[in-house]
Amino acid sequence: MSVQGSRERTRKRILAMFLLAACHLTLAADAYAMHISEGILPLGWAVLWFFIAAPFVAFGLYRLKKLTATDLSFKPLVGLMAAAVFIISCMPIPVPSAGTCSHPCGTGISGILLGPAISVVVAAAALLIQALFLSHGGLSTWGANIVSMGVMGSLAGYAAFKVLRLIKVNMAAAGFMAGLFADWATYLSTSAELAAGIRGDSPFLPLFSKILVAFIPTQLPLGILEGAMTAGMVVLLYRKRPDLLVKMGVLKPGEVRA
Amino acid sequence: MHVLNTHTRYPHMLEHVDARLKLLVALTVLVMVLTSGGALFPLFVLLACLCLSVVIGAPARTVALRFSEPLFISAMVVLLKLMFTGKEVLFSADVMGLGIAGHKDGLVEGLQIASRIMGAVSVVSLLGFATPFNEFMAGLSWLRVPGGFIEILMFAYRYVFVLFEDAMVIYQAQKNRLGYSTVGRGLGSFGTLAGSLTIRAFDHSQSTTVAMVQRGYDGTLPALMHRPFKSSEIVLSIFSLLVMGAVWKIL
Repeated sequence: MSVQGSRERTRKRILAMFLLAACHLTLAADAYAMHISEGILPLGWAVLWFFIAAPFVAFGLYRLKKLTATDLSFKPLVGLMAAAVFIISCMPIPVPSAGTCSHPCGTGISGILLGPAISVVVAAAALLIQALFLSHGGLSTWGANIVSMGVMGSLAGYAAFKVLRLIKVNMAAAGFMAGLFADWATYLSTSAELAAGIRGDSPFLPLFSKILVAFIPTQLPLGILEGAMTAGMVVLLYRKRPDLLVKMGVLKPGEVRA
Repeated sequence: MHVLNTHTRYPHMLEHVDARLKLLVALTVLVMVLTSGGALFPLFVLLACLCLSVVIGAPARTVALRFSEPLFISAMVVLLKLMFTGKEVLFSADVMGLGIAGHKDGLVEGLQIASRIMGAVSVVSLLGFATPFNEFMAGLSWLRVPGGFIEILMFAYRYVFVLFEDAMVIYQAQKNRLGYSTVGRGLGSFGTLAGSLTIRAFDHSQSTTVAMVQRGYDGTLPALMHRPFKSSEIVLSIFSLLVMGAVWKIL
């Protein structure tokens, strides 16, 4: 009886997840990257994520101040990178498996170029402009989105790139993995934040797994697409402007091809 | 990108209200929406903000665009809560031999969250429509947001439009050369586009720095000066907060 009941429950879960994914596909005229929308988190969670994000942003600003003291062009560069990340994350790219368009996060490339600390500031700036002028994300969910996109995305992208470059993996593959991990880390942490925020009295883990499954049709291929895009960017920079990669500390001067 | 512009008709009734007060009122109403127990208060806020958006001349298409993503997310949340949380069964169905059920308490919770999303989005949208970006930055500076962060925001906002034009020129050139004819080519083209944008961002930052240093830039941008508050705008802000507070308490 218990084995049959367990099977029945499993079948029900599979069907429910299938239906949810189907609804997701039919509803999604335009799928969006994982930003938590304004108002979705209760006040307590919104404040908690804000306090978790604050030290990372503060450290990023501290690093920025130190770098600006030696190079005045650094602050305009970070501002322009924020603008570039904003535009990249507004550009639609096709997600074939979902039959729709979505857009990348862009924190993988900013993590590689500027380092994770300053990339958090870049993400925070891009998120605030998106929240105010596109209703993408929000003011009350700004902290949560900084943690998922800025902190987790930048750290995952940066760490993947550094580790792979350390073991002599080529630029394209390292860039691809950086973009992939940045996107998937953002997706995972956003799902966790969302599940924690909306679960009410329900247990956390079942809802978390259902949210993960619901977004698989877009986020899984989107991660691969973001990886390909990041690889394309890194390779272009390596071929056309290696001086930029040297200035940012991504390459050592000796690594630049003649 | 045109939705970034507020496109409100000037002059409008909120034009002369200080950005700091607009920011404070918006943040307070946002907290009220997030802490409201039911769906009625957020819906009241939604209605009030939509009416104000129309009054200050926000185009209907821009308003609709701003609400399209939150609407989609609200629908997803309602569906998630209906199907996966709650105890009281509202309906059940047998699909291909497998039973699915929707829950009444899950649906109620989902609708509450959805109303909260729409109410909160309407507040922030109205703030965006009614406040020019530089005034908003001055308001943030008054709220003790670090100057370095405000400078990054100002650089980013200024260059979003410049880089967007560059991006559109590259995109059209790629499209005309069948750069997006297949998924593979599209990905390659998008990578090139994003890489070119990064290069242009770098080049613009260098030329901007040279131009700014020649004009006395020493690493910090001067913030907008604040004018003293007018008593009329303080009264208006307090009155609107009192009304909202009373409705929040009642609903």
